[in-house]
Amino acid sequence: MAVSGFLALWAWLAPGLAFLILSLVVPLRRSGKPAAWLSIVVSLAALVAAVVAAWHARVPDVARRMLWEWIPVEDGVLTSVGVLVTAEATLMLILVALVSFLVQVYSLGYLADEPPASLGRYYTYQSLFTFSMMGLVLAPNFVQLFICWELVGLCSYLLIGYWYQRPEAARAAVKAFWITKAGDVFFLIGIVMLWSRTGTFDFAELFELVQGGGEALAGLGLVTFFIYLGAAGKSAQFPFHVWLPDAMEGPTPVSALIHAATMVTAGVYLLFRTAFLFEQTPDVLAAVGWIGAFTALLAATLACVQSDIKRVLAYSTVSQLGYMMAAIGAGFAGAGFLHLLTHGVFKALLFLAAGAVIHAVGTNDIHAMGGLARRMPQTFIVFLVGTLSLAGIPFFAGFFSKEEILSAAWAGGLTVPFGMLVLAAFLTAFYMFRVVFIAFLGAPAVASAGHGGHGEAHAHDAPAIMALPLWILAALAMGIGIWFSIAHPEAEFVPPGWLTPLAVGVAVAGIVFAWLVYGLRAISGDRLFERFWWIGEAAVERFWLDDLFALVYRRVILGASRSIGWVDRYIVDGILNVLSAWTLTAGDRLRRIQTGQAQDYVYGVALGVLLLMVWMRWPK
Amino acid sequence: MTLQAYLTLAAMLFCVGLFGVITRRNTIGILLGIELMLNAVNINLVAFARFLGDVSGMVFTVFTICITVAEVALGLALVILIFRIRRTAVADHLDLLKG
Amino acid sequence: MSIEPIAFWALAVVLLASSLAVVLTRNLFHSVLYLALSLTATAGVFLSLDAEFLAAVQLLLYAGGVVTIAVFAIVVTERLVGDRITQTSRQILTGFILSGALLVALLAVFRRGPLTVPRPVVTGDLTRAIGQSLLTTYVLPFELLGVLFLAALVGALYFARPDD
Repeated sequence: MAVSGFLALWAWLAPGLAFLILSLVVPLRRSGKPAAWLSIVVSLAALVAAVVAAWHARVPDVARRMLWEWIPVEDGVLTSVGVLVTAEATLMLILVALVSFLVQVYSLGYLADEPPASLGRYYTYQSLFTFSMMGLVLAPNFVQLFICWELVGLCSYLLIGYWYQRPEAARAAVKAFWITKAGDVFFLIGIVMLWSRTGTFDFAELFELVQGGGEALAGLGLVTFFIYLGAAGKSAQFPFHVWLPDAMEGPTPVSALIHAATMVTAGVYLLFRTAFLFEQTPDVLAAVGWIGAFTALLAATLACVQSDIKRVLAYSTVSQLGYMMAAIGAGFAGAGFLHLLTHGVFKALLFLAAGAVIHAVGTNDIHAMGGLARRMPQTFIVFLVGTLSLAGIPFFAGFFSKEEILSAAWAGGLTVPFGMLVLAAFLTAFYMFRVVFIAFLGAPAVASAGHGGHGEAHAHDAPAIMALPLWILAALAMGIGIWFSIAHPEAEFVPPGWLTPLAVGVAVAGIVFAWLVYGLRAISGDRLFERFWWIGEAAVERFWLDDLFALVYRRVILGASRSIGWVDRYIVDGILNVLSAWTLTAGDRLRRIQTGQAQDYVYGVALGVLLLMVWMRWPK
Repeated sequence: MTLQAYLTLAAMLFCVGLFGVITRRNTIGILLGIELMLNAVNINLVAFARFLGDVSGMVFTVFTICITVAEVALGLALVILIFRIRRTAVADHLDLLKG
Repeated sequence: MSIEPIAFWALAVVLLASSLAVVLTRNLFHSVLYLALSLTATAGVFLSLDAEFLAAVQLLLYAGGVVTIAVFAIVVTERLVGDRITQTSRQILTGFILSGALLVALLAVFRRGPLTVPRPVVTGDLTRAIGQSLLTTYVLPFELLGVLFLAALVGALYFARPDD
């Protein structure tokens, strides 16, 4: 078990070292390809370390902690840095390392046309991200977790805005940063409140405190709610989900890594890690569950009307995050965590496959694609694997974890959220196969002038460097699916007998419906849209949430800044200017005392002596 | 006479001298006022020396008289110099240090 | 001794009257003459305090030397101007108030304290005592006084040089 601690530490620090080297050694970074290789090799080493560490740490409910004192205070230490290695933490570590490694390899192909300096910058950010995310996963206390949380947010900003010359990308990066920051403020307040109540940031100490019960836990509801708000911002729960679709402005590998597998799951991981705290506040958990289920349904609805393939996947991610949160809210954090792992695999797969498509065709618009199955068979196969996993078909990765979540929701007593999740499952299958039918099957669309790329007529399969990660992920997705079907992990509950058929049936129904609408064209998509016009229109407008946020930003925040600026200029500066003007005037008036005539000065001296005598002899 | 009488006499002389210093226009008049003040101090010193039995006060008086003589000499020399340059001995006109 | 109070009062009156005359006379030359009278009266006060040596020094240096210098200065400056400088004073009222206030304060100080002690008997020769202490205890200031005179002499010479 001790070995796992050191291995985890090495897995965490190695990318940090790569980041330091890349950021400080400027010629290496500017050279492009060598920087990329450094980052890739380091991330492979981290992956190996993570796997070995997981093997050593596979005993459940045993934690290995390594701490270094950081901020000393009067009696003891305020907080430490280090690692807290549990079985689940190492699994998450593997996910982060694996997806990070695969994405970095993939990016070599995807960003092959980038200038070397930009490529170096990209890989520097990637290394920083891997370092921060691992630090978050292994954090033994809230302080380190929060610091890595913020670092991860920073990397997200840097990578979304990687093509910063494009105004949409810059705006999307700022939007992501702002909205997650709003959640982070509450997170920080929650952490500090928790500390003021219990006196510690450390997870292990808090765990013991909770086990022992006691006065310190009164009023924990507000604390856990604030912590949840931080997670809601990062994990794109309603209403903070609006940044995730816009984050698709970044390169597709970035979307695969950050906005599918790792960063957005940090919120879920946080709630999983601190589940012992949330168990003490069932009301907050119920809220988590409801919001999660609602987010799942809302995002699924929005995904049905998107024509940008990446946005479909983005809303799908939001939806799946809602699933995970719902499971946690039902009280079974393990189910949510399991889905986090499987989702990480197949969503990354889907994003990378979509990236291959975009790279080949030159456009994100699915209506400009069509018949890609014939021209890009390999990509089609892996995309199909990912889609089936997402839909929850047996023998694919997502099936078991999705079913776990549904049973968790049922067993936790959240029946209305359960219904929402079932409906969302139907819609998930529907919108994913909508994409399959429109983009891959069916007649090719008229060739449009895409931005870059080879045009639809020349679509071909991805080069090997991009295809290899795809195949690895697809194999992993299928492998996990088959493994779980044969020997699935024990659940804490027994699902009702009708649940599995319901789940599978709903998924199949979704596929069939999609086939009817988009494959056979037996049902007109437009007529369907008109039938549900009141949802459809709203969905197209993204339920006006983005506009609401933009309004708040422009009116409230910028307005507040303007008024504060006015106060600063006219009142604060004004007071100082008035004071200085008065000083100058007073000086001007006072200089008239200096008449230049000696007798006046004698006058002053005599007056002074008189006053002195009076003061000394004043009767006490 | 009592010590108090001498001190009172000296105090009055001092204030008269101060009045002269403050009010006289002519620089030499100011110097005369200063003379009066120093005189008052001398009377004070001698009176104390006599009544307390300590001869140091008289020694001090010798010193002050000598120093006063030197100061007056130089002071009047300065007045004459200024007179040569500025053509005036009226103190009010010597206000080059006016702020 | 009954003559002593009379002598003292007479001297006091003369002293104060001449001092007032010094500061109030309009004619500067008269002012200097009144100063001479005042200095002489001071010498008398010293005598009444049994300080004969000091009375002599006062007469020699002050009434003799200082007044002479002052007269010279007035003559020199008067000549340059051409006629008698009429003396007027400035801010008489405020000056009077200030001096008066200071006088009142000083007198208030004198009211307390044991100042009505009788004068002790004179033992030995005061002049000898002054001389002895001047050359033993206070020999350093005595010597420095010589240096001071040297400096004053040099300074006066410098000031009195002709314009080259």
